[in-house]
Amino acid sequence: LGRGSAVSMAQQALSYTVFDCKWVPRSARLLCLGSAARGTGLVQLYELHGARLELLREIEKPKPIKCGTFGATSLQQRYLATGDFDGNLNIWNLEAPEIPVYSVKGHKEIINSIDGVGGLGIGEGAPEIVTGSRDGTVKVWDPRQNDTPVANMEPVQGESKRDCWTVAFGNAYNQEERVVCAGYDNGDIKLFDLRTMSLRWETNIKNGVCSVEFDRKDINMNKLVATSLEGKFHVFDTRTQHPTKGFASVSEKAQKSTIWQVRHLPQNRDIFMTSGGSGSLHLWKYEYPAQRSKKDSEGSEMGVAGSVSLLQNVTLSTQPISSLDWSPDKKGLCVCGAFDQTVRVLIVTKLNKL
Amino acid sequence: MPVWLREQSWRQTLTAVYLSLPLRGARATAASIFCSEQYLKVSIPPFLFEAVLYAPIDDTNSTAKIGNGNIFFTLYKKEPAMWDSLTLANADKEKLQCLRENAVLKAQEKAKEETEAKKIAKQEHKKYALEATMKVEEAERKRIEDLKEKERQKVTKELELWNNQQKDGDKYKSIQNKEELHQEIEPLKERKNEKMDKMRIPNEGTSKTRLKSTKGRGSCSIFSQSLKEEQLPAPRAAATIQVNFTPRVFPTALRESRVAEEEEWLHKQAEARRIINSDLSELQDLKEEEKNPDWLKDKGNKMFAMGNYLGAVNAYNLAVRLNNKLPLLYLNRAACHLKLRNLHKAIEDSSKALELLTPPVADNENARVKAHVRRGTAFCQLELYTEGLQDYEAALKIDPKNKNIEEDAEKIRHLIQGTMQN
Repeated sequence: LGRGSAVSMAQQALSYTVFDCKWVPRSARLLCLGSAARGTGLVQLYELHGARLELLREIEKPKPIKCGTFGATSLQQRYLATGDFDGNLNIWNLEAPEIPVYSVKGHKEIINSIDGVGGLGIGEGAPEIVTGSRDGTVKVWDPRQNDTPVANMEPVQGESKRDCWTVAFGNAYNQEERVVCAGYDNGDIKLFDLRTMSLRWETNIKNGVCSVEFDRKDINMNKLVATSLEGKFHVFDTRTQHPTKGFASVSEKAQKSTIWQVRHLPQNRDIFMTSGGSGSLHLWKYEYPAQRSKKDSEGSEMGVAGSVSLLQNVTLSTQPISSLDWSPDKKGLCVCGAFDQTVRVLIVTKLNKL
Repeated sequence: MPVWLREQSWRQTLTAVYLSLPLRGARATAASIFCSEQYLKVSIPPFLFEAVLYAPIDDTNSTAKIGNGNIFFTLYKKEPAMWDSLTLANADKEKLQCLRENAVLKAQEKAKEETEAKKIAKQEHKKYALEATMKVEEAERKRIEDLKEKERQKVTKELELWNNQQKDGDKYKSIQNKEELHQEIEPLKERKNEKMDKMRIPNEGTSKTRLKSTKGRGSCSIFSQSLKEEQLPAPRAAATIQVNFTPRVFPTALRESRVAEEEEWLHKQAEARRIINSDLSELQDLKEEEKNPDWLKDKGNKMFAMGNYLGAVNAYNLAVRLNNKLPLLYLNRAACHLKLRNLHKAIEDSSKALELLTPPVADNENARVKAHVRRGTAFCQLELYTEGLQDYEAALKIDPKNKNIEEDAEKIRHLIQGTMQN
C-alpha cells in the first residue's frame, strides 16, 4: 500500500439523505446529520467498533438539518451546533436533546454552512459560531447572547443577493483577532476581519465556491483552500497580503466535477483531502516555495504561492461525497458521507511518512 | 515431358525399406517430395520419379535425406513383411491414376488434421496462459486485501486501547470529581446551579452514553472551569458589515464553462434593444411612444388579455417592423395567431422566436418552453401530430416538471397511435 492510501474501515447504509458527518471529539463516535424522506431532520450517533458502525442514538427534529459543528463548545460539554433548512441555528446537548441549549431563527433561508471557533481547547477567545445562508448573509453568533448576532455581513440595501455557500473561521490566535471567510455562489470569496469589523480581502474565482477552510483556525492565518464548481480548487497563501494583489494562490483542476469539500488533516496542516462530485477523494500535499514572500517593484511585500501535489486518489461511490471530516484524535481516520445515502469510515495509512 | 528416373536401388528389412535415388546432377535443393501411404513421388525439374509402393508405409515417420548426389529414403513399413518388389508390378494406368488421386486426397486430409491439431494445441496454450495470469492477479489482489485487513485490525486495536484509556481516565476523574463536587457545592451553587446538575447526574449513574462524561483531557474540576469562563472576553459588540457582490445578471451560480454562452446571450439582448429599423416613411406620423417596441409590446399584451386578438397582432406587427430582433414579440404574436387559428403563421412566429432565443441559457428557458408548446399546438391543430409531439418533447426536456406539457404529450402520443392503427 502506498503512502496515504485510503483503506475502507466500515460503512453504513442510511435510510435518509446525509448532509453532514462529524466526529465527536475525544471519542470513537460520529454523528450523521441529514434529512429524512418525510421532511424531518435526523441526527444519528454511531460508534465505531472495529469494522462496524453501531447506532447508539437517533434524534429527530422537525426541520431537516444541513450542517453541524462542535467547534464552539468545550470538551466537557460537547454541544452540537446545527443549522437547518429553515434558517434556525440550534445548539443541542446530545444527552438531553429535546430542548436546545440555544436557539435562534438566524436566517430567512437555509443555513448552508456553519463553523465554530474557540471551543474544544483550540484557539483563544470567546466561543463563536458563524453561519452562512442562502439569503446572502453571514452572521456570527455568541452562545451567551440571545437573538442577535454579534456580527452580520449582509448585502448592501437594494442590491441583489448571492447565496453564501460556505463559511470558515481563521486567524484566531489571540483573544481579539478573528477572521471569517465566506464563499458565495457567484465565485466571490470574502474575508471579514472581526476585530476591525471590516472587509479585509475579496476575490472572485469565477466558479461558485463550495467549500473554504483555513489550514488551522487558531494560528496566524497561513493557508486558505477554496474549492469550487468545475473541479477546481485554489490554495491561497494568507501570510502575506499585498495591498492591491491580495494573496498569492495556486490552483489545481482535480477532476471534471464539483469539489464539494476540503478538509485539512488536523495533525498536519499541509495535507488536505478534497471530495468530489464523482464520488472520489483526493489527498493533496502542499509544498512551500523556497521563499514565501518577495518584494515587488514598488517595494511592497507579496506572497509566493507554493505547489500542490496529488498523493492519492480513491473512488468510493458514484454519487457526490458531500461531507468529510477527519478525526481529531486518531491520525488518518476520517468519515465521509455521500449522496448515495451511505456513510463510510476510512483510514488513510502511512501518513507519518509524509 | 519430364524425364523419368528409373535407376533407383533399394534394399529392405522386415520393418523398413531403404530406397536410394541417384540425382544425376540435378540440384537437390529444388527437390519436392510428395509421399503418402502408398505412393511416393519425387519431382526435381526436369526429372520425375514416382512409385506406387507394394504395401502401405507409415509416411509420418519415414524420412528422406538429400545429399551426395542422391536422395536416401527410409520408409517404415506399416506391416512388417518382406516385399516382393518396391512397386506394385501389374498396376495399370487407371489404377495408378486412382491411387495417385487417393494419395493426394489422403495427404490433404492429413494436412487438414494437422492444422486442426495445431489450432487446438494453440487454444490450450492460450487458455493456460490466461489462467496463469489470472492466478497471478488473484494473488496480487489477495496480498493487497491482506495488507488492508492488517491495517484495519491495527487501527481497531488502537481505537479499542484508546477507548479503554478514556474509560479508565473518566472513571478515575469522575470519582475524583465527586469528592471535589461535594466540597465545592456551596460557593458555586448560585452561579452554576444548572450546570452542576447536569454534570452530577451522569456521574452518579453509571454513564453508559459517555458523550456528556464530564472530564476530558483538558481542565479537571468545575473550579478551574469556572475560572476559565471568567477569563473569556465578553461577547463582541454587535456590528454589521455591508457587502457588495460581483454583479451577475443571471440568478444561477457562476460557472466558468458557461461564461462564453452567457456573454453571447447578453450581447444579443443588448444589441436587439438598440436596433431600430427606422427607414420607414410611415413612421413619421406616429406618436413618439408608438415608436417604442416595448410600449407596443405592452399594448399588444393588454389587447390579447382583453380578447382583441387582431388588435394585438397589429401592435406586434408594428413593433416587429421597428425592431425585428426581439424574440418576445414573435412569441406573443404566435399566441395571437393560435387564437385566431392562423396556424401556419403561428408556426412561423414560434420558429422565428426560437431562432432568436439561441444560445440556450437558463435565462430564456421560460420563453423557449412557451415557443415549443405554441408551435406544438399549431402542428397538432393542423393534424401534423408527429411534428407536434417533437415540439412537446423539446419543451419537456427544458422543463421536465411541467404536468400540463406531459399530459398533452401523452394525448398526442395516443392520437398518433390511434391514427396509425386505422
